[in-house]
Amino acid sequence: MTNDTAPAIDVAHLTKRYDDVLAVDDISFTVRMGELFAFVGPNGAGKTTTVEIIDTIRRPTSGTVRLLGMDVTKRKHDILPRIGVLPQGFTSFDRITVAETIQYYSRLFSRRNTDVQGLIRLVNLEDKSEEQFQNLSGGLKQRLGIAVALVNDPEVVFLDEPTTGLDPRARREVWEVLLGLKKKGKTVFITTHYMEEAELLADTVAIIAKGRIIAMGSPEEIIQANAKYLVLTLKCADETALEIVRTMGFEPVQDDHRNITVNVAHSSDVRKILNALTDAEASFLTLDVRNPSLEAVFLELTRRSVTGQPS
Amino acid sequence: MSPDVIGANLVVSLKSFYREKSAVFFMIAFPIILILVFGTIFMNQDDVSFELHVQDLDQTTSSAQLVKTLELDGRFKIAQVDPAIDATRYAKDKQVNLVLVIPTGYQRALVQRLGLVGGVPSAAFRNSNASVAVTYIYDASSSSVSQKMQILQSALGAVNQGMSGEPPFIRSAETSILAKKFRFIEFFVPGIIAMSVMTSSLSGAVNMNAELRQKGVIRKLSTTPITHSDWVLSNILYQVILAVMSATAILLVSYAVFNVSLRIDAWLPAFIVLEVFAFAGIGMILTRVAKEAESAMAGANAIMYPMMFLSGSFFPLEMMPGFLQKIARILPLYYGNEGLRAAMVFADNMTALRCSAIIGVFAAVVFVVGIMTTKWEEGK
Repeated sequence: MTNDTAPAIDVAHLTKRYDDVLAVDDISFTVRMGELFAFVGPNGAGKTTTVEIIDTIRRPTSGTVRLLGMDVTKRKHDILPRIGVLPQGFTSFDRITVAETIQYYSRLFSRRNTDVQGLIRLVNLEDKSEEQFQNLSGGLKQRLGIAVALVNDPEVVFLDEPTTGLDPRARREVWEVLLGLKKKGKTVFITTHYMEEAELLADTVAIIAKGRIIAMGSPEEIIQANAKYLVLTLKCADETALEIVRTMGFEPVQDDHRNITVNVAHSSDVRKILNALTDAEASFLTLDVRNPSLEAVFLELTRRSVTGQPS
Repeated sequence: MSPDVIGANLVVSLKSFYREKSAVFFMIAFPIILILVFGTIFMNQDDVSFELHVQDLDQTTSSAQLVKTLELDGRFKIAQVDPAIDATRYAKDKQVNLVLVIPTGYQRALVQRLGLVGGVPSAAFRNSNASVAVTYIYDASSSSVSQKMQILQSALGAVNQGMSGEPPFIRSAETSILAKKFRFIEFFVPGIIAMSVMTSSLSGAVNMNAELRQKGVIRKLSTTPITHSDWVLSNILYQVILAVMSATAILLVSYAVFNVSLRIDAWLPAFIVLEVFAFAGIGMILTRVAKEAESAMAGANAIMYPMMFLSGSFFPLEMMPGFLQKIARILPLYYGNEGLRAAMVFADNMTALRCSAIIGVFAAVVFVVGIMTTKWEEGK
């Protein structure tokens, strides 16, 4: 997809050092206007440090970061009214209610017409509207934080691990909110360690490990570029198929439900396996062939990063 | 600087305050309790009388007259000690801090001194060397015994003077520098107001900078248009509002219960504002030194409590040893106490001006240092 407009976020050779620790090591990337960008990586990889530099919470050691065309270290005052931020582990004033918290933050942006009830409905906190912050569960606090990040109708929204601590249903509700923001044309930048979340939501994913970006692109591009195999899954009634695949020189893995999973290099290997099973009259109930998941790719890439192998 | 932002912060701060019952208690009820307790204790300070235990070993009309004289002095309530028992043992067992023992032979010595013959004094029979030694059995560890002994000595001195028959050489007259007689409670109230402003401002600054930062609230606020100046100024205004509420409550209770007579003018809000800046500045510096909220609050307590007692908030500086008085005079709360007393009790504008200037300079320095050393952004 070509895009002639300036990027929403432009990071060039960003480095952040804390004494002896190199938290972010010379990373560069851009985020297009209107896209949903996911920064994924294990804990301690540098995701939060990176996003906090971009959203002006921290200052870089070196490199440049431009947000909506403005240098984040020099134009913070012009940038802030146009962005919304959900920091990691959002917290607020303990004795202020949900509605009052949203009103307070909207006043900080000098916005008198914020649809407080609309934001409360957006994050499904209607029945907690008059509850004090300290009485909310972790997941509800997180949802309030998302609402607070939207009080100023921002062009770019930063959400640092927005679904951490949420139950599956709440997580899906947040996903719908994020996709809704994208449909409205907002640029959304999330950090997450949930690969499923990145694969489902993001237009572009950047995988970071030990402060360096080790892969970047759409989820499909990353998978295609880094996983040179297919995953064949067979649901079997007995052990016959397992033995046949094993004797063919593959390394199948069987789970507790007798599903066999085997990684194959080529689609022709799938045909070979199916032919062998057919010839042996071995039965199987279902068959599935797909590219590996982003999580599988991520695990492989980060393993290589830790052991120092090339990507 | 945005009035809307400052107003939003004030609303949140005040709501947080009155929804936290312990904060309301310590802010308003605690100084009122101090006023009520100390005011009641020292309410009749001018009319205080001491209990004096007397063992009359002489058991004569003359010794009984001496005891009556001490009683009529008005400063002693006399308790008689049985002449048959050991006075020292009595003092230990009954935990009495002073026993006056009138010896056997008191009346005989008195007759000789006055030269009484048939009850009539005669110069021919007067023996000016006749004397009697009373004994003080006392507990040196008691804080009030020296005052009691001084009063007793003064009373016995008056008896000796009366016996000489001559008028005193040096007389004394009293002229008060004050237009009216003030009570201890009027001394105490300005000190409580100053102390209350200090505790509220210092702990408020620690909460603002350390606790909220540690929780992550400051991190979120730094992604909004609120500036550090807006944040600090709104918190200063909040502390001033709390201080005015506290001072108002203290004064209302003092007027209602003790009928205090204090002058309320522009000096009171002036000192409140100066103290808020001074102690908020100290609080900000503290949070730079002690990064954890718990250690910053411990540091605040380590500053507040000694300062309360050393600065003359609760009792006059003159009651303290000389070296502590010197220490007091370098503490900002001392000038808050002295300035408020000068303004509210003595109507002494010059002293109030001097004290306000000293606190003002101190406040300006610590406040600017505090602003410069506290961070709005996360680690550089």
